[in-house]
Amino acid sequence: MNSNIFVIIASSAIFYGTPLFFAALGGIFTERSGVLNLGVEGTMLLGGVSGAWASQHVPGSAWFTVLAAIIIGMAAGALTSTLLAILCVTLRTNQTVAGLAITIFAGGVGLSSYFANIWKVAEAPVDRQVRRLDVFGWADAPVVGPILFNQTILTYLSWVLVVLASVYLFRTRFGLQLRAVGESPQTADAMGINVVKYRYLHTILGGALAGLGGVYYSLAIVPTWVDGMTKGAGWIAIALVIFGFWRPSITLIGAYLFGALQSLSSTLKARNVQVSGDVLDALPFFMTIVVLVLVSTRFAHRRLGAPAALGFPYEREER
Amino acid sequence: MKSPVRFERRLEQPKWLNWAIPVVSLITALVLGAIVLLATGKNPLDVYSRIFERGFAGKRALSGSIKTATPLAFTGLCAAIAFRMGLINIGGEGQFYMGAVGATWAGLVFGGDLPPGAVVIVMALSGMVCGGLYAAIVGVLRAKFNTNEIITSLMMNYLAAIFLNYLIYNSTSYWRDPESRNFPAGKPIPDRADWNFYEVGGIKIPLSFLIAILAAAAIWVLYKRTRFGFEVGVIADSPKAARYAGIRTTSTIVIVLALSGALAGLGGAADVGNFRGLLDSKGLQMSGYGYTGIVVAALARLNPISTVVVAVLIGGLTNAGFALQGPDFPSGLVGTLQGLILFTAVAGEVLVKYRIRRNRQAAAVLA
Amino acid sequence: MTSAVRMTGIVKRFPGVVANDGVDVDIRAGEVHALLGENGAGKSTLSNILTGLYRPDEGTVEIDGRAMQFSSPRDALDAGIGMVHQHFRLVSTFTVAENVVLGESDSPFMMDQSRVAQQVEELSNRYGLAVDPSARIWQLSVGEQQRVEIVKVLYRGAKVLILDEPTAVLTPIEADALFKTLRAMVAEGRTVIFISHKLDEVMKVSDRVTVLRGGKTVGTVETVNTNTRELASLMVGRSVEFNRVARSIPADVSQTVLSLRGVSARDDRGRDALHDISLTVGRGEIVGVAGVAGNGQRELAEAISGMRALSSGHIDVAGEQVQSGRARSAIAKGIAHIPEDRLHTGLASSHSVEDNLALKNYRSSSLSKFRVLRRKAIRAQATDLVQNYDVKTPDTVTPVRLLSGGNVQKVLLAREFSSLPKVLIAASPTRGLDVGAIETVRARLVEAAERGVGILLISEDLDEIMSLADRIVVMYEGRLVDEVAAESADRERLGLTMGGSTVSGGAR
Repeated sequence: MNSNIFVIIASSAIFYGTPLFFAALGGIFTERSGVLNLGVEGTMLLGGVSGAWASQHVPGSAWFTVLAAIIIGMAAGALTSTLLAILCVTLRTNQTVAGLAITIFAGGVGLSSYFANIWKVAEAPVDRQVRRLDVFGWADAPVVGPILFNQTILTYLSWVLVVLASVYLFRTRFGLQLRAVGESPQTADAMGINVVKYRYLHTILGGALAGLGGVYYSLAIVPTWVDGMTKGAGWIAIALVIFGFWRPSITLIGAYLFGALQSLSSTLKARNVQVSGDVLDALPFFMTIVVLVLVSTRFAHRRLGAPAALGFPYEREER
Repeated sequence: MKSPVRFERRLEQPKWLNWAIPVVSLITALVLGAIVLLATGKNPLDVYSRIFERGFAGKRALSGSIKTATPLAFTGLCAAIAFRMGLINIGGEGQFYMGAVGATWAGLVFGGDLPPGAVVIVMALSGMVCGGLYAAIVGVLRAKFNTNEIITSLMMNYLAAIFLNYLIYNSTSYWRDPESRNFPAGKPIPDRADWNFYEVGGIKIPLSFLIAILAAAAIWVLYKRTRFGFEVGVIADSPKAARYAGIRTTSTIVIVLALSGALAGLGGAADVGNFRGLLDSKGLQMSGYGYTGIVVAALARLNPISTVVVAVLIGGLTNAGFALQGPDFPSGLVGTLQGLILFTAVAGEVLVKYRIRRNRQAAAVLA
Repeated sequence: MTSAVRMTGIVKRFPGVVANDGVDVDIRAGEVHALLGENGAGKSTLSNILTGLYRPDEGTVEIDGRAMQFSSPRDALDAGIGMVHQHFRLVSTFTVAENVVLGESDSPFMMDQSRVAQQVEELSNRYGLAVDPSARIWQLSVGEQQRVEIVKVLYRGAKVLILDEPTAVLTPIEADALFKTLRAMVAEGRTVIFISHKLDEVMKVSDRVTVLRGGKTVGTVETVNTNTRELASLMVGRSVEFNRVARSIPADVSQTVLSLRGVSARDDRGRDALHDISLTVGRGEIVGVAGVAGNGQRELAEAISGMRALSSGHIDVAGEQVQSGRARSAIAKGIAHIPEDRLHTGLASSHSVEDNLALKNYRSSSLSKFRVLRRKAIRAQATDLVQNYDVKTPDTVTPVRLLSGGNVQKVLLAREFSSLPKVLIAASPTRGLDVGAIETVRARLVEAAERGVGILLISEDLDEIMSLADRIVVMYEGRLVDEVAAESADRERLGLTMGGSTVSGGAR
């Protein structure tokens, strides 16, 4: 029963959707504070290459190394987005171009590739990985086993995060203040909320989560580093934030949909289903466009949650 | 707690900033790059002097750099013309591919029959139409549904790449060389369809580089002197004012994006006609001309004439990067430097908008 | 009597302007103290300094006799100073209760919605500020939003409340209710700083008045010892009086230049904003559209000028139909439009004076040939208009955003009048201008009417409408609810209909 194609697709939807969710959740925090991060792709790659390096070089027990790799990958992501925060929040540059600069600087032919080269990350496999677990020994349970009990620790972490993030955003004072900063920085400022601090912290947090998504690619999905291995996942994550109306729970569902699309090609090929591989490869990108068109048409942005001040630098003494 | 400096909005933008900002950005990027190099155990002076040598010193180096600069000039113009209207077209990469596809088709079909001059024109037009139509899709989505053009144009880069792979690797298309069973490759266009090179003082100048200069001049005239350019300027300044003045915003969006894509497509045509002579799927995807074009346009501050000049500069850097690639000169270094240049160019724009002043009160405390 | 707030020698400079140039104010505890001054006199800057949003370059601020240095709004709030801004500082997607507790730091991690709701209700009952704590801001009327602002400030325990032009968005009746609330707060020992440029209401509500002019203090007077005439001359530095402007050539209503039949349209969010509006304007007639902001005036102006598509109905200019939602058609038919948002709708603010003067006629054969602009002709047109309309600008290539408010409006007027229109839509044409500029704009409007232009004057300033219009219609919630001849117009009745009360026999 567990070799049923739908079970396999559902299982890999979650497996491949998890890194998309991490990056998109980071995007939610960043955008809720009013900063648009178009550098997610580059941030993920830097996180991924740092994590891969750590997995190859940090000594100690296997789980310690993997933990170190995760933390180092997240730190690399946080550092990258600090750069973005300096540009967007302090220097008040055009957020779109600043994000592009991050992606070009850190991306597949930039710093992540440079690091991979000088650290020789690509020359050896990344052996110490984040592996699929067998939770409660139920991994082989019919239907639910492969889907729910045979994922990596990071997927389970993401389920905790979706709850924590929802509570943080909608049930706590910090979440309320964060949303106010993204909706109307003037109001937040007048109410004594430190707009700059909120924007910095959440941009950096967003970068750390994107870095985590990158680590998932280099430590869970592909056992060897390849330059530009996220193949547009960072951009899909940005679209997922819109698709999820800036809410963690809907975004998680969206991430799994796109996870399913991404894995479809290899799953169907393994089953000898006669479908063009190119069409399947194109599906995630094509669907991203379709989804964007759908959400940008009739629904007014305001009602569905786009932070009103998204993309606008805040300047107090403006006249 | 107070920061020692503050930003003060400039009332007027002095003219000297136009050249000062790119120069200062470039120097700052090189300094930051030196820090990266030092931190990773390389000697920046050594690296930079080798880049200069291979990119700019001598006729051979310059010929190579101008060759690399040509596609960058087109993708730079593609980015500049759209960015000027506030349309962030980052699909230059995919539009470039589509232009190459269209031009290769025209070269294969007409290359044997038409006189050489006519072939160049047919290939160029075909490339422009393909690139332009491909970008127009983004424009229609933006104009009709207000769909964010940044992400759609980027997604279409990936789609175009998959399309290239399909044409060359995963099908027996018209573009694929049927002799290449084991190592799939593109079908070469007839020799008669090759575009010319001219020698000026020992430096080889490709025909397409001259076309790029003409295109830049045409765009300059279009934006500075025509009604269309006036309308684009008003839309970029204030969409509401444009609506108020009866300027048709939606059709202008589509036209500007189509023009932008046509320029990238022309670049793709040049890539086939002047340089590669066939549809090179892998080579195109590795070059990343579309993304580098954004760096070029930003550093040129979206001025079409400066775009060509900056393209030569960045082309030299890229060309040197290709030539030097090896254990001492890892790939990714050039991309990193380009990213840093874009960073500093973006940060430099702050100086256009603001003056940085010392905070008087903070200064008083220090004194 | 003790001072609640004392500000001495306040100087605040911005790039290119000195907004406050040695201002002294002394506000006693438990009074309503009015800050009176024209736009640009420095009132808002002063209040922004007092609330910690700006830092003064020079001068001292004392609260209850203690010198204070606010480096952020939070400091000012902690010192008991709360501000009700002219442009509300509310998060429109949040509920009233969420807006009220926003920024509170000493409260529990999780919000207790019911406790907040209870406190909000308590405050609203005590001061007559009816608001529903669970309503979302975007659902509320402007008057209700203002009440939320006041509740918010009271909730934070403010002893001193600053209200910046609070009546600008209110109907006369709502304004009276606000004055009662203010008196109730003063009676409890709070202090109110009331910022305004309207003489009547300052006389009505305040105990003392400090007058500002050109960033300097002119003087402080007890309200009982002064009158509007004296305040007016203090405010502008000379005596002024706005009377009904006499017209040498009367309107010719037998010829209709603008006619609207059953016009309906939607706002930006897709909700119905105009309902079945029918209206005519005669040759040389000035029709005033009175109403509180946000009742469809902007949509009306945009519908007529072709910036907004009609969902039903027709608009004719001198018998010719204007294509719905086609600004180009409206311009061609002879509709000129002075929009409310001059700098971003009426003008492309980063563009030069000459480009802006050509904004509507750059397509004409005199300014472009074969789609190529004739730069020389554009410059010549600008040089002419700058001279004729007395625009103060260094040259014709200066970006309009660098001009003063009055000169920005002159650029707009020059362009719109020089197109020799049949109809002119003027939306709040004098808002934010100083007295001299107001007089110029009004004179130009009258002059245009005398030349036969039919003018639709949309304004929230009832005085302006009453002094210029031949006929007045009142807009409320997207409908025309009343129509009267200007000579027989009665402020009280207009005030009532503006607030939505029906008047028998008047409504159409």
